[in-house]
Amino acid sequence: MTVAQQYFTRLLAAIEARKDELDALDAALGDGDHGTTMLRGLTKAAQAESGMGAKAFMRASGGAAGTLFGLVLIAIERHLISDADLPSELALAEARICDLGQVKPGDKSMIDALSPAVAAFNGGNLDAAIEAARQGCQATIALDARRGRAQYVEGKGRGHQDPGATSILILFEVLRETRESQ
Amino acid sequence: MTKLFNSQETMVDDMIDGFVSAFPQVERGKIDPRVVVRSRARKNPDEKVTMLIGNGSGHEPIAMGFVGEGLLDANVVGDVFAAPSADLILDGIREVNGAAGTLLLISQHSGDVINGRAAIMLAEDEELNVRGLLMYDDVASAPPERRQDRRGAPGTMFIYKILGAAAEAGLELNGLVALGEAVRDRTVSLSAAISPGISPLTGKPMFKLPEGEIFIGMGVHGEPGAGRMPHGPVGKLVRTIVDKLLEDRPIAEGGRAAVIINGMGGTTLMELYTIWNETSKALAAQGVEAIAPMVGSFVTTQEMGGFSISLLEPTDQMLAYWCEPSDSPAFPAISLLTQEAKS
Repeated sequence: MTVAQQYFTRLLAAIEARKDELDALDAALGDGDHGTTMLRGLTKAAQAESGMGAKAFMRASGGAAGTLFGLVLIAIERHLISDADLPSELALAEARICDLGQVKPGDKSMIDALSPAVAAFNGGNLDAAIEAARQGCQATIALDARRGRAQYVEGKGRGHQDPGATSILILFEVLRETRESQ
Repeated sequence: MTKLFNSQETMVDDMIDGFVSAFPQVERGKIDPRVVVRSRARKNPDEKVTMLIGNGSGHEPIAMGFVGEGLLDANVVGDVFAAPSADLILDGIREVNGAAGTLLLISQHSGDVINGRAAIMLAEDEELNVRGLLMYDDVASAPPERRQDRRGAPGTMFIYKILGAAAEAGLELNGLVALGEAVRDRTVSLSAAISPGISPLTGKPMFKLPEGEIFIGMGVHGEPGAGRMPHGPVGKLVRTIVDKLLEDRPIAEGGRAAVIINGMGGTTLMELYTIWNETSKALAAQGVEAIAPMVGSFVTTQEMGGFSISLLEPTDQMLAYWCEPSDSPAFPAISLLTQEAKS
């Protein structure tokens, strides 16, 4: 198993363990299926050939979320497969997600964890990026949703941590775990 | 309601298998079987720009029915009512791309736009020469000052056909995009719905409509529209729609409009020919000649009842491409049908 395949296998286990929590976070904001969607995509990603994990995730998870998370996973997978520079791959993914999803920091979305992580990555320090993602993730609790279904929910999701930001944090934590196991 | 499928898991692939074996113009892709590609009359993709679109299935014959000579080079087939994923669209681009470049048509619906644009980004990472063209024409979905926010509707078929013929004639990629934008800016569509389609996934109606009323401008999944009318003679309904279209994008007296009358799946040809006749009269009443009609059910949503009228005020060049013969499983022959041509 390549290190990229190990990553997807570990990520699948991590999301599986927290699927109900992610679904519950999403239920406060939207259709309550974020954990289920991530799990569906990762189940296929973990079975894919090396280098095809992120694309398998995109296809199986479906919808806009599958595409946007898929872009982050493409960045991580490229880094693991070909040693592509992780901070610049993630910065590219961040810019594309903001463009495609018409979302910016402060909208209560995955970007609120991803953007601070990309900014803190300076010099490739994964620990600093994870800490920034964690803080960004917690900061979503106080935010009003401005994009997606959550903006129409009564209270705009205030008081609830964003499930997408939570998943971004998990993606990075599992990356560290994968590196440490090498 | 019972539908005639083997299983939910296989319904899309069963359909594609039947489609490619029924028609000589098409086959499954070699890179990805969820892509339907041209099987004959393929030109060298280093010389001819290739063109494709992705869409959710359940709306046949669009768009796999339009793969063929003088039209699309490929169609990326998504699951039922779901935009194909970005990686699948990327596979579609790879199936047909050459040095002349590829144009990805994108009908403006949020999933199609996000996934289509993401596919173009991934294709650029692979240094493939690809451009996208957003298509929108549904006047009910946004006012004229925000026409760039409109949804894609059956008027997008003008773009498929005109660009398909232009690409075949050798127009290069940037020229095709410019021509597509010009067609888009001259196209308007508006629909009328009377009954919902039944979802192949749930076996249930996709939305509810009260009996005895007609919903103008409703989206195919029940998105709210522009207004409602009681049932009555169809001529009055058609006049209302034509007047709204001309109000949105006026055509000067003495001008011409190419017309698409599209049935949504549950409306008969008997009704659609009547609607074409009424459309032609309603346009004539405003001093506009209705020409080169395409009449039938091409963009469907299962057995949804209703139709749309699309108008294009064509340049001579657009009109020539629109009427150029093509060879695909489902695109009809278009005749010019002007007064001069008939007499």
